[in-house]
Amino acid sequence: MPPVDPTPASPPTYWRSLEERADSPEFREMVEREFPGEVWESLPPATRRGFLKVMGASLALAGLAGCRWPKEEIVSFSRPAGYTPGVPLRYATSIDRSGVGRGLLVVSYDGRPIKVEGNPKHPGSLGAADAIDQASILDLYDPDRSRYPISREAGTRRAQSWEDFERFVSGRLATARTRRGAGLAILTEATSSPSVADLRRRLAESAPEARWFEYEPLTQDNERIGASIAFGKPMRPLYHLKEAAIIVCLDADPLGADPSAIPHARDFAEGRRSADQGSMSRLHVIESGFSITGSMADNRHAILSREIPAVAAQIALGILGAEASSLALAAGPEPRRFVAAIVEELLAHRGRSLILAGPGQPPEVHALVHRLNEALGNFGHTVELALAPDPERPTHRDAILSLAAAIDAGAIETLVILGGNPAYDAPADLDFAGLLPKVPVSIHLSLHENETSKLTTWHLPRAHDLEAWGDTRASDGTIGVAQPLIEPLYGGRSPIEILSILVDSRPLDGHAIVRRTHGIDGDDSEAAWRRILHEGVMSGTAFPLEMAAMRPAEILARFASLGPPAGDPGGLELVFRRDAKVHDGRFANNGWLQEMPDPLTKITWDNAAILAPSTARELGLQADDRVRLSYNGREVDAAVYVLPGHAAGSVTLNLGYGRTAAGRVGNDAGFDFYRLRGSEALHFASGLSIRKIGGKHAFACTQNHHTIDAIGLRGMERRLGELFREADLAEYKAHPEFAKHRIHDPGSHQLYPPHDYSEGPQWGMAIDLNSCTGCGACVVACVAENNVPVVGRDQIRRGREMHWLRIDRYFRGGEEAPQIAHQPVACVQCENAPCEQVCPVSATVHTREGLNAMAYNRCVGTRYCSNNCPYKVRRFNWFNFHKETSETEKMGMNPEVTVRGRGVMEKCTYCVQRIEAVKIVSKNEGRRIRDGEITPACAQTCPTQAIVFGDLSDPESRVSKLHGHARAYGLLEEINTRPRTQYLAKVRNPIPGAGSPIPADGLEEHHG
Amino acid sequence: MSRFIFPKWSNPLRIAVGAALLGGPLYVVLLIAYGTHAQTTAVGYMPRQPVPYSHALHAGQLGIDCRYCHTTVETASFAAIPPTQTCMNCHQKVRAQSEKLIAVRESFTTGLPIPWIRVHDLPDYVYFNHSAHVSRGIGCVSCHGRVDRMEEVQQDQPLTMGWCLGCHRNPEPHLRPVEFVTKMDWSPSEDPALLGKRLREERNINPSTDCVTCHR
Repeated sequence: MPPVDPTPASPPTYWRSLEERADSPEFREMVEREFPGEVWESLPPATRRGFLKVMGASLALAGLAGCRWPKEEIVSFSRPAGYTPGVPLRYATSIDRSGVGRGLLVVSYDGRPIKVEGNPKHPGSLGAADAIDQASILDLYDPDRSRYPISREAGTRRAQSWEDFERFVSGRLATARTRRGAGLAILTEATSSPSVADLRRRLAESAPEARWFEYEPLTQDNERIGASIAFGKPMRPLYHLKEAAIIVCLDADPLGADPSAIPHARDFAEGRRSADQGSMSRLHVIESGFSITGSMADNRHAILSREIPAVAAQIALGILGAEASSLALAAGPEPRRFVAAIVEELLAHRGRSLILAGPGQPPEVHALVHRLNEALGNFGHTVELALAPDPERPTHRDAILSLAAAIDAGAIETLVILGGNPAYDAPADLDFAGLLPKVPVSIHLSLHENETSKLTTWHLPRAHDLEAWGDTRASDGTIGVAQPLIEPLYGGRSPIEILSILVDSRPLDGHAIVRRTHGIDGDDSEAAWRRILHEGVMSGTAFPLEMAAMRPAEILARFASLGPPAGDPGGLELVFRRDAKVHDGRFANNGWLQEMPDPLTKITWDNAAILAPSTARELGLQADDRVRLSYNGREVDAAVYVLPGHAAGSVTLNLGYGRTAAGRVGNDAGFDFYRLRGSEALHFASGLSIRKIGGKHAFACTQNHHTIDAIGLRGMERRLGELFREADLAEYKAHPEFAKHRIHDPGSHQLYPPHDYSEGPQWGMAIDLNSCTGCGACVVACVAENNVPVVGRDQIRRGREMHWLRIDRYFRGGEEAPQIAHQPVACVQCENAPCEQVCPVSATVHTREGLNAMAYNRCVGTRYCSNNCPYKVRRFNWFNFHKETSETEKMGMNPEVTVRGRGVMEKCTYCVQRIEAVKIVSKNEGRRIRDGEITPACAQTCPTQAIVFGDLSDPESRVSKLHGHARAYGLLEEINTRPRTQYLAKVRNPIPGAGSPIPADGLEEHHG
Repeated sequence: MSRFIFPKWSNPLRIAVGAALLGGPLYVVLLIAYGTHAQTTAVGYMPRQPVPYSHALHAGQLGIDCRYCHTTVETASFAAIPPTQTCMNCHQKVRAQSEKLIAVRESFTTGLPIPWIRVHDLPDYVYFNHSAHVSRGIGCVSCHGRVDRMEEVQQDQPLTMGWCLGCHRNPEPHLRPVEFVTKMDWSPSEDPALLGKRLREERNINPSTDCVTCHR
């Protein structure tokens, strides 16, 4: 056999990074060494003295190991608590994020909350929880949280007690009351809490002159104003993506950044799964940066954000015809090439189409989109309206501007800031941090002593959402109740309790406040209250749907007068985006979130100035270059990340990093782009300039880590299929089994005797690549469930991240307009596992039920298994990563899973602790395990239910049916590993005949 | 061809080789003896408890069922240590002033639990489940010995992995009808071998020897 030249003639069809596409030496090294960098080089040189030291220590340890382990105490509850020790319970609660309620079920183990899941009865979560929701467990136990009230006077910081604060504030309030509240101001973050609204009303009664401001840096206000233009009042649109055959997103990210991303994603996945019945929705995305929704698009067009209003006008001209002639100027001289096709599709799907505009787009675009949806007959089908809560509220931007003006004018004497972090995230031109010290008395309630706390005269520790009573409203208005899972660990109080101090003559506790708000405080209300707590939601409390009358003339007139975006049109465009991990920066001190790779860039522990390859070339920039961004007289230093598929001429800046007072985890991670963000342009602007300042930034980016060795695979004379398989709808209809036939597999002979799988359930998993949005909720679910350690930026740079489940993100096509493919990869539990055959100590062995088990206490850390694993899913504890886990964080660990020490290999086991728990219970009860009774953490939390787990020996189980599905294929099954996880190939639905810019799959079909 | 003659310097090696040949087996024997010795496996481990509670009196003479105190043994992995309330159910009336019960009364008034010392202490990487065993008909006595005769509880069995596997591989001699699991002095009225076989078939008992059964 002639030697195979491993150099591919053409770039691979699917590529992880520009380095792989260019087949750079660095990438080759990454693939070959698995753990790159100075692993051995960093060890100190071996010396005789060093050797003796190590050997002496081992001998001493060997001596200790002979002793009986320490005496252990075993204690009971001193009085019966009414539940069984060691049996986890689930409690329904809800938390608020940026003014939208999220329904959760929290698993509590002997009184300690250890895991967050979604509440199936809550319309905003439908049983799923996103990455941030789940990571809130770690925030709860964060040792950096503040522990007592702090007063600052003339530069001295003094620890105080709550009594001190109450004494102080009651005097202050008495003065304020005599002046009907004049000089008193409250600044809150956006909140949907009915209790806050109720307390606000009470405050307005007792202190009518007191002022109330609500500020949120990542605001949906443009949507509100847009609706006000269209309907005369701020209506909230509620989308039904399932009903839509054609979805057009104008800079919108309904599946990723949207507060309702979970229900949207669930709906969207339904509309995609119908591909199996021959029809599926088509998603057009027009955006500047790459969003999660953009990565799911059938047709994506990367253009500048500032050009999107023109595209909206062009679509309007196509749909409304002569009525929209006043938009001709806004639409520009020549419509974009893709607009005609979109218009045609929309017109062909009246009542079954949907146009969405992103929160960054100006209100006029939102208003026009309402008009278009109405003209297309979509109202009542794919979109409905409800009156937004608090319709009189000024926009967040106006609120913070008027507060700043009031402070500047000296009109504020006492400022109570409930949550939020305005000193960090208020528009840069206000210099809020400079204004705050002008307020004689400022009081800040927050989890951490953050940037704002350090400038106020009082800082109060806030109770975490899982520690406090409260209430929330979901996007659709459904009221969710929050109940504490644990007493406040650090003596914090909730915002409503602080408000009660201001409002009520005798301050109430959170429980009483919530019951008072909802009128559940009579003697006979206990049963009703308990039922609400049990469900977590109050049914029937959704906002009433109403179809407000539209004002088409107003919409068109306003749109026609829409001015150009802020800034000098000459320079680059800058676009501010929410970060998928730290949101607006408030979750920056969360190690799980910092370590979760960004869904698109795969960066951990950082943000970046994200730009297109062509823009980078024009500016003479390369990946990781340190640069200075200048815009409108403001400057920030950052580093460059080159993202294929990004719009040329635009720079995406994710907010929320560069914190200086976040805590030990969040400080100094990333760059603070709030310093570029002024009130003149909160979302995007022109006139950015970028200058190289020399040097490279060391990103901890996982996009090339744990690469399945495709170079070697190509070398094997194309005997192996693509790792990711997809087809367009037409091909799928013609060849339903395309995924299996992409490769001719002659079958392999089995050298080892096969395992006996005749007895008991046989576990298997199916992952539908057609539904997966790459959001990363499963990654955090796995971390929380399996006590996966946080390893830190430096270790990740060495390829040592510990995530058992990674989401491989591939590009397909050219670097300017690639498609993105997400593929979650965890251990596939090979029936013929290469890892098992090389373990010298039988630490990884097969079970009767087909699991590839890890006995951690047996592992001696040879890492042979990892070397031999073609999927690269094994993770090695290079250090005792849990050594620095704080005592509080230990409370949040799952006691059902061993904590692994140094020198131990670990990996996914399909959450075997959950399997065993259900097996024991079902056998105790003398029954079979029901299908769906066992759900691994990743499957449980998947917003699109892309992951299905079950028993393959039961032909009726969902997973059995999916394994028999036409689209099912096994990753690398051609090498005879017999994986128990099967993937369902992706189906895209591009416009037929429009000419896809993507080359056909690299592997031609050949039938044997 | 001349005969090979060991050089002179190798003479002392003979002693070393001899010592290794003699000492090697001795070392292995000692190692195994040490590893299986009762003190290593902690058989007979009998720590002093904070309250001089006698199982021999309560479970033996008075005949209180194990499950009166260890309530969760049939439903949970952990056989709960009773709350002080359980003690006080009787001891509010019976021997209410006994000096031996000072710690119990103290716990009851303060609400702080009694710090019992764990006797049967498995390593933290072992996930043993009581309910899985009790509901299959493994008697308490099989692992804990005749607790009804113990003045102070001590460890009766080695609780090593080999000992666990012995039963997981051949459970029949240890099976009994579920209604007798807590009966310490139960003995089968029929041929034990036949009974074990019958019970195993009836209840479809196939104990797993997969690692993940106990290690996760």
